[in-house]
Amino acid sequence: MVKAYDWMVKCTPQTEWIEHKGILLWLAFFFIELGAGAYFVGSFFNSLPAKGIGWLLCGLLGGGLHFLYLGRPFRFYRMVVRPQTSWISRGMIFVSLFLLLGFINIVLGFFSITSSILSVLTIVLSFLVVIYGGFAMCCINGIPLWNTALLPIIYVASGLWGGAGITLGVAVAKGSAQMLTGVEEWVHLLLISFIILLFTYLISINYGTIAAKTSISEIIKGKGWYIFWIVVVIIGIGIPVIAMMTGSRSTPAAILYLTLLCELLGDLGMRYLILKYGFYNPLIPKTT
Amino acid sequence: MARWGMVINLNKCIGCYGCMVACKQEHYLPPKIFWGRVLVSEAGKFPSVKKLIYPVLCNHCKDAACVNVCPTGASIKREDGIVIIDYDKCVGCRYCVMACPYQQRTFYGDDSTQYFPGQGFTEWEMIGKELFPLQEGTVVKCTFCAERIDAGIKRGLKPGVDRNATPACVNACPAKARYFGDLDDPESEIARLVSERKAFQLGPEFGTNPSVYYIIR
Repeated sequence: MVKAYDWMVKCTPQTEWIEHKGILLWLAFFFIELGAGAYFVGSFFNSLPAKGIGWLLCGLLGGGLHFLYLGRPFRFYRMVVRPQTSWISRGMIFVSLFLLLGFINIVLGFFSITSSILSVLTIVLSFLVVIYGGFAMCCINGIPLWNTALLPIIYVASGLWGGAGITLGVAVAKGSAQMLTGVEEWVHLLLISFIILLFTYLISINYGTIAAKTSISEIIKGKGWYIFWIVVVIIGIGIPVIAMMTGSRSTPAAILYLTLLCELLGDLGMRYLILKYGFYNPLIPKTT
Repeated sequence: MARWGMVINLNKCIGCYGCMVACKQEHYLPPKIFWGRVLVSEAGKFPSVKKLIYPVLCNHCKDAACVNVCPTGASIKREDGIVIIDYDKCVGCRYCVMACPYQQRTFYGDDSTQYFPGQGFTEWEMIGKELFPLQEGTVVKCTFCAERIDAGIKRGLKPGVDRNATPACVNACPAKARYFGDLDDPESEIARLVSERKAFQLGPEFGTNPSVYYIIR
């Protein structure tokens, strides 16, 4: 409970996008970006199941949760009128077009009909869906933890990493050795990118304002330490790194699926921390 | 066209919370909803400690972040600089709540909250639902008492001068710490205060150019 004299006098955490119904938005962003990431990576390996799973994750889970989060959900169609200034508006357009064209592309693919224009268009749209959440957050200049150009890049890396993980799972299920090798390279590259970006982000933010420092402090050694160190670092990064070093061919399928689960948990944990510990700068200039 | 703004003299403010109460009363605001607040802080270390009192409200920024991010066009900037919300268009995404660096927007999530839980709505609450119907699931905030300003101007009154055309918080301030008027009119009292008394805005680094100014001396 924020005391009356703490509110905006000290660093104040945002609550609307993570507490109570805000939990739905956290999950919505995760599933939307994970689904679009799976579609994106699946497209490069021409994997219809990966694209289908991605489309379902993005549309049903992500879109559904986003819909439920809204205070007036049945007015959702109004959210497209300000693409010139609002990232939510742009995101809504990207997601709608992606779901529509992605569905057509998947159905055509099911009947072995290929349209290169449609494929390229859906790949571009899936990438835009992965990236818009990061942009929607990074333009909020009252919260220094979010107000950085690194945030959309991290979200792209994590969305594509998760998507590559799902595609890898599909490759394991299909027993396609060629696809497995190809997707594994993507997973490794994206894992390394994610680790570098995440730590660069955390270190660079720590040199910012008092609110930025408070956010990092809460994540690393404050109330969020166990999520960061256990869920993100050990489970989300450590286990996939070990799996990367052992290689997928010598690893049983069950362990690979477990690794994928760890990867997704780590991504989810990181997104939770970024939302939960987004602090506003204090409003009153001189405080003790 | 006028650009309505406010100047708050922090030296005169006594932190009585009269502005907060007047705002709630004027708009029949439900429990836990405040369109104006008084922030209290301390600066310095013992024995030279200074108490800081900052009344805050929507800044009706010239370059309002909340208006820019609204995906539905529900947040509107009027020609006279007042930022209002069209509840019929608001979808309740709360992007504006996040984008406002001054945290002056509130999500109105529960229409059934009563001042006396379990005893039904009071007559005052019922009148409020008639006169200022808020919509559950939308975002609400200070309107600079736009309805008072509009009605007053129609009657030929001057906002900031005539009480019936002036925001309730300005009228209620017992210390006369609040001034209201046209920032674009160099002859107005608040334009003079801004230029002569080294008025400052909160969070200038956000680049929003608020229409609420503070003076210390």
